[in-house]
Amino acid sequence: MNTQYKKGVLELCVLALLRKHDRYGYEISEYLSDHIEIADGTVYPILRKLKADGMLGTYLQEASGGPPRKYYTLTALGRESYERERAEYLRFAETVENILKEDGGND
Amino acid sequence: MTKNEFLTKLSHELGRRNVADAADVANEYEQHFSFKLADGYTEEEIAARLGDPSALAAQFDGASVSAGGRKVVTVIGLCFTDLFAGIFFTLLAAWQIVMAACIVAFTALAVCLVGGLNTFSMIPEMPYGCAVVFGIALLALAALSAVGSIYYGAFLKQLMRAFGRFHSNALASASGKATLPPIAVSVRLCPKAKRRLRTVVQISMAVFATAFMLAYVICAVSAGSLEFWHAWGWFNYSV
Repeated sequence: MNTQYKKGVLELCVLALLRKHDRYGYEISEYLSDHIEIADGTVYPILRKLKADGMLGTYLQEASGGPPRKYYTLTALGRESYERERAEYLRFAETVENILKEDGGND
Repeated sequence: MTKNEFLTKLSHELGRRNVADAADVANEYEQHFSFKLADGYTEEEIAARLGDPSALAAQFDGASVSAGGRKVVTVIGLCFTDLFAGIFFTLLAAWQIVMAACIVAFTALAVCLVGGLNTFSMIPEMPYGCAVVFGIALLALAALSAVGSIYYGAFLKQLMRAFGRFHSNALASASGKATLPPIAVSVRLCPKAKRRLRTVVQISMAVFATAFMLAYVICAVSAGSLEFWHAWGWFNYSV
């Protein structure tokens, strides 16, 4: 699948993962690369971009046996825009699905 | 590609593109390596799955937090804060010295009383029996001061750590980096030390109270007066 196309959706996925609780970068990267076919490294630029846009905040938390982990958390702005974009995406995906199904595939 | 090759290439590419906080970005990838290595992957496998470093660096373009002006303000503010905190901590440290001096003074006086030493004739005259009991009371007081001094020292240390954390967090957040949680200003001693200190406090309080009252009673009885200091002319004035 087209990388550029996936990237927009990935931002939404990252926000979705962070909605329930804060996670550190590797956790997000692992979850997404397990479920979507992307290079492991792509998640970090997305996290950086979302932070620059004010959607995410970060804080460090000491972890046992290792350097402190950088946790990402949704800001109020991130939460708000996630709810909005989620609704938009679901509507959009439904429309696309309907169009593709009406076509009925190779027959 | 090994971990080092990957990180070197990534840092180089990030630097070439003037990405802010390149070290922070590289650090995140380094942590990714350590997590994956712990899971049993080889460095080559991890690097391959991460993707091409130059392609990754390109994705960081335009995604950096710029906070130049804010940083200057924070640094100036911190300079003033440090100045006041410095004075404040100096005063607090001086109190620690006062407490240490108390311990020394109480102990010295107790030794003089119990040992019957009155080198500079600064200790008023009293029967030796009273002096010993007063000496014991003073030793207990010295122990109490020591415990107080330990607690105070621990508190001061924690206060300084908390301030240090506040300092580095302020700098980190001004330059858009992640911050560590603040440190609470509460004395943290290990439970064993805490129990021991509590025992010392209880015993020395009891000893101090008993010895002091006992000394008073002995003095009052042997002087035949409740205000024995007048009877013995301690303050050099005639009644």
